[in-house]
Amino acid sequence: MSAKNMHINVYERNWMIFSAIMLVLFATAVSVAAFGMGIQVPAPEQRVDPRTVATDPNSPWSNPGLREVSPGRYDAYILAHAIPNWEYLPKEITVPVGSRVSFYVTSSDVQHGFNIQNTNANFMVLPGQVSKLTITFKNPGTYNFICTEYCGVGHGVMYGAIIVTP
Amino acid sequence: MNKYLLNGVYSLLALIVISAFAFKIFQPIQVLPRIRLSPAFDMLDQDWMRLTNEDVRGQMVLYTFTYTNCPSPCHDIDKTMQEIQARLSEADLGETKMSFITISFDPQIDSPLVLRAHAKSIDADTDQWKFVTSPNEALLKTIIGSGFHAYYEKTPDNSFTFDPTFVLVDGWGIIRGEYKYQTEVSTADRILRHISVLADEVQNSSGPQKVAYEAAHLFLCYAP
Repeated sequence: MSAKNMHINVYERNWMIFSAIMLVLFATAVSVAAFGMGIQVPAPEQRVDPRTVATDPNSPWSNPGLREVSPGRYDAYILAHAIPNWEYLPKEITVPVGSRVSFYVTSSDVQHGFNIQNTNANFMVLPGQVSKLTITFKNPGTYNFICTEYCGVGHGVMYGAIIVTP
Repeated sequence: MNKYLLNGVYSLLALIVISAFAFKIFQPIQVLPRIRLSPAFDMLDQDWMRLTNEDVRGQMVLYTFTYTNCPSPCHDIDKTMQEIQARLSEADLGETKMSFITISFDPQIDSPLVLRAHAKSIDADTDQWKFVTSPNEALLKTIIGSGFHAYYEKTPDNSFTFDPTFVLVDGWGIIRGEYKYQTEVSTADRILRHISVLADEVQNSSGPQKVAYEAAHLFLCYAP
């Protein structure tokens, strides 16, 4: 039996056509977004100047650390840097259990990572961009955070800790 | 089922999917996110007049938080507020009213009298720009900290550490923009553009057009 005469159920055929159209549509949409519109994530509005972010007195990262915005609610501005000695500023944060902490992390030199162990926080830290994530610490304990993007010879010693006190 | 009817249904589905993609990709309408409700407050302005959040309902409001005793070099909050007011004509506001409110978190020193002197010293237009505070410090912390999520803390020497923060609220009392740090685009430029986008939504989002604006919210077509 030749393919021409092969019987295909009309529903099955319609679904096949539909899936083919979907494939073409997704491919087109992704191509248009990537090449036509240009990938611009994030926009310049979210971009900070990595050269001055740690020194400008108007920048929160010139005085990195924890701020208690209201009872139980914190903003943590964390600066990751490889120069001079591969570290996070601050290295240690202490909050009471149940705290809701918004992390604003940026880098003043190269690409770093930020992974808080035993939580779902894991993101890249790029110079000139601010990564933001909010976490509620429901259990007491020590949550280490480590650099997950290779950033130079000191990459392995780049870590810090969030201490959640009961 | 009728074959033509089936094809019609498929075409309609395809059209909906294509339109949704086109809407998201080309973003013909951009909006500001609805972040959360802005807090209620009841404070005194620089003329000893009561000012509550209900008084500014129906207007777009730009809030900022500071204290007049801020030692130099201090954050350029007043300068940014004045730049935005001076360039407000760049944004197409239409019928929408816009007001500016600076909340002082230092009521011990910033009495309405001091606030009035401060407003005068920087030549502020107090019809449009109010300087308010409340003698109740715990309430201030609740409004500014819990409500606007802006950080400030008193230091032992009676000055304050704080992060310069601007908050844009719409006429329904919903927070639509938070500006916590300086980016490559200046804070004034960013806020002015957002005011334009918000005013555009306020003026045009009625009747059938409301559906399009709600679609922009649904597809997260947020103005950068």
